[in-house]
Amino acid sequence: MTVFISGGSKSGKSALAEDLAVKLSGGKALYYVATMVPKDSEDAVRVEKHRLARRGKGFETLECPKLVSRCAEGRPQGTFLLDSVTALLANMMFAEDGSVDENCSARASEELLALAALAADSVFVSDFIYADAEEYEELTEAFRRELALTDRALAKAADLVIEVCCGQYMIHKGEMPA
Amino acid sequence: MDLIIGGAFQGKLEYAKEKYGLAESDIFRCGGGADIDASFRCVYGLEDYVKSCLKEGKEPALDFRPDAVLIGREIFSGVVPVDPEIRRFREGYGRYLQKLAARCDTVTRIFCGLPQRIK
Repeated sequence: MTVFISGGSKSGKSALAEDLAVKLSGGKALYYVATMVPKDSEDAVRVEKHRLARRGKGFETLECPKLVSRCAEGRPQGTFLLDSVTALLANMMFAEDGSVDENCSARASEELLALAALAADSVFVSDFIYADAEEYEELTEAFRRELALTDRALAKAADLVIEVCCGQYMIHKGEMPA
Repeated sequence: MDLIIGGAFQGKLEYAKEKYGLAESDIFRCGGGADIDASFRCVYGLEDYVKSCLKEGKEPALDFRPDAVLIGREIFSGVVPVDPEIRRFREGYGRYLQKLAARCDTVTRIFCGLPQRIK
């Protein structure tokens, strides 16, 4: 089963995603695809918080900032949690050499859908950053557009699509696994 | 009248095109000020239209064709904008959407390309 989760920041997306991934794995191999490349001490603290929250849940962490489909190669029985699509897109849009790919959603979607197709089960977490009145400059708008296009590709392919708000969830597609 | 709302880049127009079989010639794209042509089946970008109306001190229209498909962006989930003009726009547009939604037969919210009927 492929699950796509989105919602505002600090809404409880990661906790729900972890619980769902544990449930779907049914005791079989469980992987956490870590996409974020910590850039400063603030990022490092956030990574540590998430790492602590996952401790004891049985995840094996796979560091993979870009070509995430490779994580699933040779692990066909695995359940994969990818948190977050936002971080993956940032890695793809802004390369280490300083170049910017303003049309990276096709590349990102391809990697993510390939991971979903190879995995027994997969859970993807993204951020809903589309409903404020702010007027952003061109590059931020491009990032919002590319992330939205990636989200939509995942939501289309997913069996279950969930919006999280205040730790509560709304189902837009499919049904929670029993 | 049917209202379609949702955040930026969520696929509102794509949904409307498919659901109502709209051609490009059926769509009036707002963004050219406070005057719109309500004879079009679909009016897209209500946020731009209402923003212009508020700037020019005009009341935005609430009357459209009975089979009108009206599309607007949700912009209400950020912090209160510092800029007073954007603040007034957010408030005026929000109140407008409430009145318009009350007149519409259906209201559909698009989330990541997926529709959810909320009226």
